[in-house]
Amino acid sequence: MALLEIKNVDISYGKRVTVKNVSLDLNAGEICSIVGESGSGKTTVIRAVLGLIAGGGKVTAGDIIYEGRSLLKLSQAEWRDLRGHDISMIFQDSGAMMNQTRLIGNSYVEYIRTHENISKKEAWDKGVAMLQRMRLPDCDRIMNSYPFQLSGGQRQRVGIAMGMTYQPRLLLADEPTSALDVTTQAQIVRQFMDLRDEYGTSIIIVTHDLGVASYMGDKIVVMRNGEIVDQGDRDHMLNHSQNDYTNMLLDAVPSLGGRRYV
Amino acid sequence: MFDEKDLVLEAKHVTRRFPTNDGRLLTACNDVNLKMYKGKTLGLVGESGCGKSTFMRFLVWLDTPTEGEIIFHGKDITKLKGKELWETRQHIQMVFQDPSTSFNPKMIIRDIICEPLMNFGRIKASEKDAKARELLELVDLPGEFADRYPHNMSGGQRQRVAIARAIALEPEIIVMDEATSALDVSVQKTIIELITRLQREKNITIGFIAHNLGLIQSFAHQVAVMYLGNIIEVMPGEGLAEKCVHPYSRALLDAVFDTKMDFSKPIELIKGEAPSPLDVPVGCPFQDRCPQCMDICRREKPKLISLEPDHEVACHLFTKGEKQT
Repeated sequence: MALLEIKNVDISYGKRVTVKNVSLDLNAGEICSIVGESGSGKTTVIRAVLGLIAGGGKVTAGDIIYEGRSLLKLSQAEWRDLRGHDISMIFQDSGAMMNQTRLIGNSYVEYIRTHENISKKEAWDKGVAMLQRMRLPDCDRIMNSYPFQLSGGQRQRVGIAMGMTYQPRLLLADEPTSALDVTTQAQIVRQFMDLRDEYGTSIIIVTHDLGVASYMGDKIVVMRNGEIVDQGDRDHMLNHSQNDYTNMLLDAVPSLGGRRYV
Repeated sequence: MFDEKDLVLEAKHVTRRFPTNDGRLLTACNDVNLKMYKGKTLGLVGESGCGKSTFMRFLVWLDTPTEGEIIFHGKDITKLKGKELWETRQHIQMVFQDPSTSFNPKMIIRDIICEPLMNFGRIKASEKDAKARELLELVDLPGEFADRYPHNMSGGQRQRVAIARAIALEPEIIVMDEATSALDVSVQKTIIELITRLQREKNITIGFIAHNLGLIQSFAHQVAVMYLGNIIEVMPGEGLAEKCVHPYSRALLDAVFDTKMDFSKPIELIKGEAPSPLDVPVGCPFQDRCPQCMDICRREKPKLISLEPDHEVACHLFTKGEKQT
């Protein structure tokens, strides 16, 4: 049985249907990349999985099934248990999702204590241990910093550490490396791959970078204007896809030793 | 490849230090020497905070260097003042990273594009409409866009408008600060095609800042790699993947994700992040992250040496080789 099944989902804002008839299966330990240009609805799809569609959007048709139960009928209390524990999300800029006026350590302790009945001291140590696992240097200093005091790469690692605290079965990543330098991007991508290898976490990564998408994804889904236009495993998508749009996106990736414009 | 008589702009020993609140000095650019040639693109690559934007901002007077000079047509532009400065400004224009914040949201596109022309008295107010249409068509946008506001356009369209504004004065040099990194990959490609076409048609010199070596090698004639304020390698853009030798340039190359790469191999990493430019170590700035660091790298800072024509590198791995031969 698939870990996550998205079945013929429509998502609407008011009367406007923005995401149409999206279906996607994800097995345990599998990585799926969703690619597409901005405005293609890729972020909306993964936010729907976590029940966090922004701005009053709603799933108006279809069903999202996680481990055999529908996510659309969950109560608030059931969502609280699931979010951040079984399913986690990593945002484009993890610094922006944290409270800017609170120390990272305080936010982290609060997050741990919503899921586990332990003392503040224990929660703090657990946080430090998690940061160390993400190979962050000087973790006590990071716990005692405000989000703006860290570099973009460090913030992103803190976000991944938080998301991975309870070793979720499913990790949703929304453009996790788009704001980073290429060198930091490579480090973060490597860390995602290690998570899958160590914990068997399934990952859905949303990105507009075909290079990252094809390096990470076992399968690749291409979205355009709210619909899935093409999907398949990596080898098929990169080498044998018949879809013009997929090939246009592939062609746009600057390739080493590839085409020169001058 | 590069002819000295095509030299348009030359930076000599440019250094910029910023004082910090606690009295220390942050060196953003350290003894930068670069040359820009007529109709060629100079790509400046490096991680955030390496000083690449600081350097390019000198060219458009958004900042002035602490030391050194920048020669443009025989004059040091960092010393220009008053009328002379105002007149020189029209020869060097800039395109910014984020097209949504580099326009006045209350101006329509026609006024935005024609503002530099009006400022230098090149056209009359009655000619604005025709000129705006002509410039929009030059960047492959429909002329009707002249009546729009910036928020009515997509990111790629706005970046085209920014390019139209920059070429309006027919400058000799255009500085582009990460002009494509806020855009989708597919849009990025069309913008690069536009830039290279305009460069061929108008023989413009371009200074392009990027952090992706894979992107820059596809259209730059000359690529300079910066690390912590120092230029560590300058090389031709063509065949860059084979030619670049500095361990940091190689690391930047290895970090590029490509759809044609070998997916079974784990991607190569350099460890850590760039240290703060406030505590640059003695010796080679890259020593702590370099996989081939030697004793001499901790003591002595490598100088730029010439490997072959148009290819310079600052690394002790190659200084030694030079002494032997």
